[in-house]
Amino acid sequence: MKFSKKLTMAAVATLALVGTAACSKSGNSSSSSSEKIPSKITKKTTVVFWNAMPGVQGSTLKQLTNEFEKKNPKITVKLENQGAYNDLQAKINSTLQSPNNLPTITQAYPGWLWNAAQNKMLVNMTPYINNKNVGWGSAKASDIRTELLDGAKIKGTQYGIPFNKSIETLTYNKTMFKKYGIKKVPTTMEELKDVSETIYKKSNHKVVGAGFDSLSNYYTLGMKDEGVNFTDKINFSGSTSKKVLNFYADGIKKGYFRVAGSEHYLSGPFANEKVAMFVGTSAGEGFVKQGVGNKFTYDVAPRPGKYTMQQGTDIYMFNHASAEQKAAAFKYIKFLVSKSSQIKWANATGYIPVNTSAIESSEYKNNKSIKLPAKLEDAMKNLYSVPVAKNSNAAYNQLNSILQNIFAAAQKGQNTNSQINTGKQKFDAAWKQ
Amino acid sequence: MKSNQKKAWLFLAPTIIFVTFFSIYPILRAFVMSFQSGSLINLNWSGFSNYQYIFSDPEFWRAIKNTILYALISVPVALAISIMLAWFIFSRIKHKSFFETTFFMPYVTSTIAIGIVFRYIFNGDYGLLNFLLKAVHLPTPNWIDDPAMSLTTIIIFGVWTSLAFNIVILMGALRNIDPNYYTIADMYGATGTEKFWRITMPQLVPTIAFLLTMNIIAAFKIYTSVYALFNGQAGVGNSATTAVFYIYNKFQIVGTPGVAMAATVVLFIIIMFVTFLQRKMMKKIGGR
Repeated sequence: MKFSKKLTMAAVATLALVGTAACSKSGNSSSSSSEKIPSKITKKTTVVFWNAMPGVQGSTLKQLTNEFEKKNPKITVKLENQGAYNDLQAKINSTLQSPNNLPTITQAYPGWLWNAAQNKMLVNMTPYINNKNVGWGSAKASDIRTELLDGAKIKGTQYGIPFNKSIETLTYNKTMFKKYGIKKVPTTMEELKDVSETIYKKSNHKVVGAGFDSLSNYYTLGMKDEGVNFTDKINFSGSTSKKVLNFYADGIKKGYFRVAGSEHYLSGPFANEKVAMFVGTSAGEGFVKQGVGNKFTYDVAPRPGKYTMQQGTDIYMFNHASAEQKAAAFKYIKFLVSKSSQIKWANATGYIPVNTSAIESSEYKNNKSIKLPAKLEDAMKNLYSVPVAKNSNAAYNQLNSILQNIFAAAQKGQNTNSQINTGKQKFDAAWKQ
Repeated sequence: MKSNQKKAWLFLAPTIIFVTFFSIYPILRAFVMSFQSGSLINLNWSGFSNYQYIFSDPEFWRAIKNTILYALISVPVALAISIMLAWFIFSRIKHKSFFETTFFMPYVTSTIAIGIVFRYIFNGDYGLLNFLLKAVHLPTPNWIDDPAMSLTTIIIFGVWTSLAFNIVILMGALRNIDPNYYTIADMYGATGTEKFWRITMPQLVPTIAFLLTMNIIAAFKIYTSVYALFNGQAGVGNSATTAVFYIYNKFQIVGTPGVAMAATVVLFIIIMFVTFLQRKMMKKIGGR
């Protein structure tokens, strides 16, 4: 009997301990927005950075971080890779309910953090940017491109700092162009269609002309080129929308266009000479280069049409961190987006530098190992990004599956109208969740 | 009647505590959350609106339809094939342990890894399966990239993956059948088919009941194989979306946990109902 009593006591004690340990962390969550920004980091400070950078991108980030830590011995940056973008988004979403487990900073698209911004869980970066010690003194002095900074705003507040940015470009098979006598790289969608048709015919239907990696981007930019912004006011089954959708669907029906399907990217079929050109992210150039090898020569051109998508994530800071951590984190961000870091980053990964001086620098422009730098200035003339609004991210994601259904019907030679109408319901529903 | 010993509670306590915290509490929390709306950080009561939303959402119905079709087709088919194979190995094959190991291998391999391999086997352009089909002049559907084929592909894959576990359990059950039954049947000149239907099958009923329950519940919770086979999405155009996919998407990606939990509660009720039906049915068949 005595033994059992002791055991009960022990069990109760253990439980109590577990309970208190779980609760004790929820102490100091109230950090006011008016706190002062320390001008120097005097204590040892740790910054946790959630990211989703695989392969070369991850190792380059690690190198840059080591460099930063050497310069700032008081600051330790813990890089925590959370997997792919989807995984990172899911992780942030589920951690938002226990703010103390959030990192100091994270990579994110502004659309993911809409709710967090509404609940005042993010740090407004403007005071840090304007701070002379930690930041640059002003947004202008940062030399970050204005449209990229604007893309990192949520409801007009500068919550993010652009970091790994890419644009959509056209990658084409130069050798094949020569073989089929194509002299001009397409600059408009009409030209893209004509060139695709020619290649498809001249290759005896062996090579598909072109395809788009991201169907969401195809639709968003197609509408933007027609003068329609991406909002909940879009009439998905309206005439403009149908024009954009059927342009691609007709190409699929006739065989000169294709989609990536479950492979997600066309760089594979492109490297195997199954498709002559494709529109995809500039950050994928590393994969293209690797896949193509010495089989043929490829080149990169601006995306056909007026606008191109500006994509890739920004860095956001969460409110729960201490003042020291926030200042240290901002110093780190400032380092990451500095000219020298951005040149290293862009040259290694195919992302575009976020600041103007890096884009114009000879170290970047004369980089011969990838094709993008020489073409970048032309390619970036008109940038567009998905506007940050309630559910815009959900609607944008939904577009992918809607378009897949429409194009699958086109592939079988069916009429696309019924799929477009179903798509309209889903598209409108996505805006209303 | 004997009363339970009080001391028993003490020994049960760890389990009871863990089950309460990690199994019962989440179920209750899911139930409560299904009546709330908003993001995880600020939930507020919204009555039945989440249920209204999912019942009017065509995507939800498609997810439920796909899940039920998958469970109703893949489980019986897989079970029938497993019984056949197990019986075959048990009665006609010499090096049983070798084949048992071979058949069990897929069970210890990760579903994600198998899924990736099958993605290439099923590929419409250069897949092994279509290569073989072409060789014997059969139609070669686009298994992965045609929305109309997605569910079929998932079912084929599901049948294949569940064979491993089923066969091993059935082999165990077959070994447990008293060999004297067969000896006596032989003495009276029973044929192979008679022996199978009169002796083997009745003896296997409890095992089959167990496998049916386990398989059906697993089938209703299908997620990983879809994820692996279609490269992280629920088939082209979400054509192979399942209930769990729907829940995950609504919870983690869209950020409407209330809707996700409403779907969870509905799925919970469906699984409970099906399991209940099945138990009734098996009791009738087994006569006990």
